[in-house]
Amino acid sequence: MKTKYLSMIAAAATAVMGLGSHAQAADSVNVAFFLEWATPNQIAKVEKAYDDAMGVDVNWTNFSTGVGMTEAMLAGDIDISYSQGLAPFVTAIQQGAPLKMVGIAVVYEANDCFVKNGLGIDSSNASELEGKTAAVPLNTMADFAFRKQMAALNVDISTMTIVDQAPADGAVSLADGSVDMACIFGGASAKAAGEVGTAIMTSQQKKDAGIGSFDVISVTEKFATENPELLRTFLEVTEESNAAWKATDAQIAKVSADAGMDIPTTKNQMAGFIFPTAAEQIAEYFGNDGIAGSASESLGLVFKKSNVSNLTGSLTKTIDGSYLQ
Amino acid sequence: MFEWLSEERAFIAAFLVIALIISFGVSLTIGLKQSILRANDEVFGDPDRTKGGWYWSVCGASALLLIWFYFSWEVGRAYFPKAANEICQVAKIEESISPINAAMPIGSRYYKSTDLIIRNTAQLDSLEAALPVDLFSAQEASQLLSVINQTRQIIAAFSNPDSQDPQSQKAIANLAAEFDFLSEDVLAGYDGYEPTPEALLQPKWGITEVEIPLLPLTPRGVLFDNISLKAKSLADTFLKLRSKSAEADRLIAKTKAEIKTLKEANSQAQGSETYVKKREAYVKAVERIFKRVDDGTIFPPEALAPLYISVQNFTASVDDVKGGLGFIDSVFLPGNGIIKSRTQCTEQGPGRWLPKPTDVVATFTRLANPDVASGGGYKGTTLLWWKWLEISDVVDFFVPDSVIDMLPGSYGTHSADGTFEPTFKDNLLRLAKGKISLGAIPMLDGHIWDSLFRVLVAMGAGILFGVPLGIYMGVSRFFKSFFDPLIELYRPVPPLAWAPLILTIFGIQDDGKIFLLFMVAFAIMVISARTGASGTQLSKIRASHSLGATNQQILRYVILPNALPEILTGIRIAIGVCWGTLVAAEMLAGTTGVGFIENVARTVSDYELIWVTILIMGILGLLFDIMMRWVIQKTIPWRGKG
Repeated sequence: MKTKYLSMIAAAATAVMGLGSHAQAADSVNVAFFLEWATPNQIAKVEKAYDDAMGVDVNWTNFSTGVGMTEAMLAGDIDISYSQGLAPFVTAIQQGAPLKMVGIAVVYEANDCFVKNGLGIDSSNASELEGKTAAVPLNTMADFAFRKQMAALNVDISTMTIVDQAPADGAVSLADGSVDMACIFGGASAKAAGEVGTAIMTSQQKKDAGIGSFDVISVTEKFATENPELLRTFLEVTEESNAAWKATDAQIAKVSADAGMDIPTTKNQMAGFIFPTAAEQIAEYFGNDGIAGSASESLGLVFKKSNVSNLTGSLTKTIDGSYLQ
Repeated sequence: MFEWLSEERAFIAAFLVIALIISFGVSLTIGLKQSILRANDEVFGDPDRTKGGWYWSVCGASALLLIWFYFSWEVGRAYFPKAANEICQVAKIEESISPINAAMPIGSRYYKSTDLIIRNTAQLDSLEAALPVDLFSAQEASQLLSVINQTRQIIAAFSNPDSQDPQSQKAIANLAAEFDFLSEDVLAGYDGYEPTPEALLQPKWGITEVEIPLLPLTPRGVLFDNISLKAKSLADTFLKLRSKSAEADRLIAKTKAEIKTLKEANSQAQGSETYVKKREAYVKAVERIFKRVDDGTIFPPEALAPLYISVQNFTASVDDVKGGLGFIDSVFLPGNGIIKSRTQCTEQGPGRWLPKPTDVVATFTRLANPDVASGGGYKGTTLLWWKWLEISDVVDFFVPDSVIDMLPGSYGTHSADGTFEPTFKDNLLRLAKGKISLGAIPMLDGHIWDSLFRVLVAMGAGILFGVPLGIYMGVSRFFKSFFDPLIELYRPVPPLAWAPLILTIFGIQDDGKIFLLFMVAFAIMVISARTGASGTQLSKIRASHSLGATNQQILRYVILPNALPEILTGIRIAIGVCWGTLVAAEMLAGTTGVGFIENVARTVSDYELIWVTILIMGILGLLFDIMMRWVIQKTIPWRGKG
């Protein structure tokens, strides 16, 4: 009798738990994106080109961090994250999150580290940064860029005092002189930091040192298995809007309105962006030894926790360019 | 020794769970007995009724810990240490057949084909309704309509079992048969299966970053693992399966040709750029839907039925062999169970965001290890340890160099022979700059101490300035009316709102953080001291006045003691709020501190670390409160008895 009750309870429990996870045909798709991050597909977003092409409602939710995107995807509220940073994606995979990288959203210059004007430090005497204080938003792409640039300039970061600050706070501290260098992401904060500081490496120097970054399009594994055709169409529409991008005034006005920035800032930001075509992504990023895999691995090594076991090679398993074809 | 404890954490947890159940039961029994015993002796509402009762504390703590052990899956891990690994193998099967489940009413409510038809037909309808007749000539418009209609007919042809090619029927039947064979393999049992030596070498559940060992550890697991590989290849076959129909093929060829002519017409179209673009966009939209239906992903439901039954049988036979695993899964691993992602098996639900108590302890021990060089501490700082503090550094901090500048005398210059002989003033400057060794004193160090220091200094300052001001506001018209608007204006503002200002005024050092905490503590102390002072019974003040007490004496011996209960309660509240604000304060510019650890842990979703910081703050708060209760007992034992 007792076992019967127990099994009934178990069945009821399973039924209740099952309710939440019961897969349903997608009649709407939830997409995460960043404000103040201007991309051509925002025109398609505003004009509902995604909804028309996919035949379902596409709900866009804005996030302020890539970690937030990961958490929303794990909670099942978001299916596709457009332009998630590589850093939050890789740390999510290291925590075993069932996510997948299916495309490259934006390729852009690595984030800058601004040295306070008046210190007289530039890339030629960068070792003088040793012993100084730097504001870095830890575990972000700016952190990754900071480590890469310091390594390229032969600066020993263990001698530096690293202060964990959000980009906006870092810019303020740089202006106040309480930090000597601030590593920044985001248009508005970078502009503010640029007023009082100078980037330690120029675009060309960063390019020569092979320091760059890119944002990815990530999806939950569940969405990718259940609705591959919707995912393909999503990538297709993105591809089309990238191809249609001519940076005309009308286009920039639309994007800037949707991104929540003024037109000059939008123009400035987008000047540094490259939106690779599907063919380029397949050839350069998703092939064997593609950039997507190698960059993820090297980033994974930088951010790995001290007690992490050997995960080498596992990151490439979550990178899948097949939906681009 | 720690390694051994860490390895055997499941075993230890099993012991702890039993101990907790026993202590819960025993304390509950004692508590109930005591309640019955005293029920008739005590008057309801008598504060003495709350005295004692340690057994209820034990009971409450045991219950809380048991809930934590249960929902974090620790109970499951303790008593079924291999269950997760076996469920992981089942999850592998689920992952393998998920594309098939997604196409059947198993993982969803409808057949995938049904969904596709509903969605595509709706899109075709809206395209037809929105046909821009002004963009196309009459002939082109009719051609577009025919393309739309033919797309509908293609859908119909694929949906009709009569027009299905026998070959595709056969392929589905074959696949169904394969699944039946697989079901038989599953039901044949797992005798003779052995885990590989490599699998047995894996770290245990939850010891390393890879939560659940991936390779099967039990014979049953090996069976499921094998089945999942076979199911994967069947699922791959299924994904390549295409609906075939001669009728559809004919229509597809015809429609393709028509779309081609339409595209050619587009490429030669004359007119403005927007006109051409709009034409292209419309044809593209029609073609997109055509392309979606032309690849034969729509099957008649009858065609898929045999496969549907076989897959259901397969799932049922896996459930059969799972046996008690399903029970363990639903009862001891509450939440969404274990799912297999691309690289590993992960716990979902509370198993993911509520770390197991023993794992939290393990993380805490790792952090508490004062040997930073061997991986202890966090970000190069210990959790709580001590260091030698140079007294000269303290002098450097407190004595400004400019004080020396103001002293008489002058700094030395180098002499003709290229040497430098320091004068008395030079030596004083060296002293002020902390260059002269004055010995060292031991001093606490580490993240916890840094946070504690900030809270204590802020609280101290809050009490020092807040209590006198509050008392004077309670007794003086000037103080009350002058400071009231000021305090009341800033008090309701949440500390986080001040944060951006603090950063730019004070910079990134401790002073800003302390000031933020001080503002919180100060307001609470003022309010509580004021309430206490103004609540003093008038008769007591009058009595002391008529006995000849001076104003100072009234303040010192009547009002202050009367305000003490409120002040001490204020301190208790203020400390709690200070800890709450600390995380925000340390977010401004984090270098050390418990809040800093939490902020960084959040960026990598490291829930174990987050819980460690939550527990540290909780326990420190609790210790403070226990201390305050002791102080209250010593200083105002008369409270509530006047």
